[in-house]
Amino acid sequence: MDGQRELCTFPLAPNHKMKLSAAGFLTIQDLKGIEPAQLGKDTGLSLEDSEGVLNTVNVADKMHWKSGARCGLSALDLLQEEQSLPGIITFSEKVDQMLGVGVQLCKVTELCGEPGVGKTQFCLQLAVDIQIPTVFGGLHGEAVYIDTEGSFITERLADIIAATIRHCEHIAQMEPNEELLEHLKSLTMQHMLTGIHYYRCYNYVQLLAIVHLLPAFLKNHPKVKLVIIDSLAAPFHHDFEDFSLRTRILTSMAQSLVKMAAEFKISVVLTNKMTTKLNSSGDNGAHLVPALGESWGHACTIRVNLHWEGDQRRAWLCKSPSQAETTVPYQITTGGIRDIIMEERNQAQNAEDETPVKQQKLS
Amino acid sequence: MSRPTQLDLIPRILSAINRAHLDSFESILTLSNADISRITGLSLSEVQTLKTKVAENVVGVTSMTALDLHQGKGDLMQICKLSTGCAQIDEALRGGILSRGITEITGESASGKTQLCLQLALTVQLPQANGGLQGGVAYICTEDAFPSKRLQQMTQGFMKVHRQTMGSDYRPGNKIFIEHVADYDMLLTCVNLRLPLLFASTCVRLIIVDSVTAVFRGEYAGHEIYKRSKHLSSLVSQLLALGSQHNIPVVCINQVSSSMNKTGRQLIPALGLAWSNMIMTRIMLSRTNQTIALHDSGIDGRIEATVRQLEVIFAPHLTNVTVPYIIDRDGIKGIT
Repeated sequence: MDGQRELCTFPLAPNHKMKLSAAGFLTIQDLKGIEPAQLGKDTGLSLEDSEGVLNTVNVADKMHWKSGARCGLSALDLLQEEQSLPGIITFSEKVDQMLGVGVQLCKVTELCGEPGVGKTQFCLQLAVDIQIPTVFGGLHGEAVYIDTEGSFITERLADIIAATIRHCEHIAQMEPNEELLEHLKSLTMQHMLTGIHYYRCYNYVQLLAIVHLLPAFLKNHPKVKLVIIDSLAAPFHHDFEDFSLRTRILTSMAQSLVKMAAEFKISVVLTNKMTTKLNSSGDNGAHLVPALGESWGHACTIRVNLHWEGDQRRAWLCKSPSQAETTVPYQITTGGIRDIIMEERNQAQNAEDETPVKQQKLS
Repeated sequence: MSRPTQLDLIPRILSAINRAHLDSFESILTLSNADISRITGLSLSEVQTLKTKVAENVVGVTSMTALDLHQGKGDLMQICKLSTGCAQIDEALRGGILSRGITEITGESASGKTQLCLQLALTVQLPQANGGLQGGVAYICTEDAFPSKRLQQMTQGFMKVHRQTMGSDYRPGNKIFIEHVADYDMLLTCVNLRLPLLFASTCVRLIIVDSVTAVFRGEYAGHEIYKRSKHLSSLVSQLLALGSQHNIPVVCINQVSSSMNKTGRQLIPALGLAWSNMIMTRIMLSRTNQTIALHDSGIDGRIEATVRQLEVIFAPHLTNVTVPYIIDRDGIKGIT
């Protein structure tokens, strides 16, 4: 297809490029069938260098051909492919709508927010939701949970699973049919706990190692559709002096996560912390920005900022290639992430849960 | 196994990484494949093998499922819970203080922060069946002198209740190891050097820092905020390391600052976001305007006690609940 590709577009050393062009080698066509020794003679490059040049060109050319198959896709094909991909529901309809179809597959989503606003709760909720059988509107997948802070408390997970199972039972009662009931039977606490693969990680070296091993793990566990890192910021917070190293590690980690998300059609969810940034324009005070620096901001495809507004929690979609920037309220109940307006049944149940503590009479 | 050269790899790779002075796992994992290939002269596929081997070694265990974790299987130490010695508060905390991360107790002065910590210093000595962790406590004081008189008073009440389980000549005071520190350097030395020594020689199951604020509040000028957060994170990483290594709770007391906003004065925990980001659970204590009558068998007969409140601000496993409590001679008591 393309013997016309110019040599200067290949990743070659500048002086090699110069020598090649000086000797009249301009396109791939010109290098076809030439031996390293001949090339060396013609250009004045050493034998080793000319071998290197030929190798680079060949390898890059081959990769180009391989990816050529994908290049043939039109924007319409891509759109259809993307639209056919389901998302992971969050149990808050408003948040789902904000994100399109819930948390998208094939994408890296970052959740950032102050402590206590619900980042970990979102992660736990997603790890459970991914496992809901397809007949109930889920993806019937599994999740990998990388915990860097030790905030993965199975007790809390059990609450969310119990609520999710109740929700599915509710659906099954509304329209009882064989298939639903059949799936409901397999939907147990034990089953759902087994569907979450947990890694505890204490420092960034371990995190790097886990991310390195993930592709192999995903190959062996094709059911895994979601990888959660809660939080990405923690290992880079403590005692991290070398900021250029941090940027380098984060960039390469982001690369492998993006690649994994696309290759295995999984969703990657990361949490990040907030940090204070002093305003440059003098004494305007400070405002909160996501941690890990400016360059990290480019790494994630989708960024959701969780924050408080008064005593209401809000999710703000601040970066997304496909959805408009919106802010929606949500709340965290015993059962997990929910919309503020809830169904009656849940409300009644919540009221039951809360009254004994909240309205204690003083004797 | 702590060196890459001890890995089970073919000699060619081993000698190549030896020559390139890649003598830590860290250096191998942080470099990109292409970089390693360049400095060692190994092929990319060999580098991949090397990295995978290193990664496997660093991660150690294969993943476990949440079910294993829930049932306490696997080599991850199971979460322990330390009772506060008060049923109502324990209920709100779902059993007590977790042996994970740092638990912050914050609140205005005289809200009962130290009282709660003294109580924890006693309950930690109880056997596991009674909600304790059967061990001593390292109590780091940075503010005033350790309130030993008050502890004595509380010990009496504690022994009255637990004489049966602990034996009548048990002295809880013998298991409370107190360290006074005045500044950041002393605190860091204490946490880095003295605490590990203490852990090696005796059974300590709880670390209390009363308070982190005193050390970090005064000594830093306005422009040293970056230095402060760096010092904070060094302290926290060491505390977390000790906590997770021994699977014990770490409790830090924090003061509050008041912040003015449109709705009026609001109390917020001190030390800012840098600190808040590093803790896992935040418990806020406060005083209310109410008082209740105490029927005490003391000389006065009737004493008024201020009603205080314990509020869970955030925690990964707790909902936001409030428990009213009072402080009497024996310590903290939830009221119903």
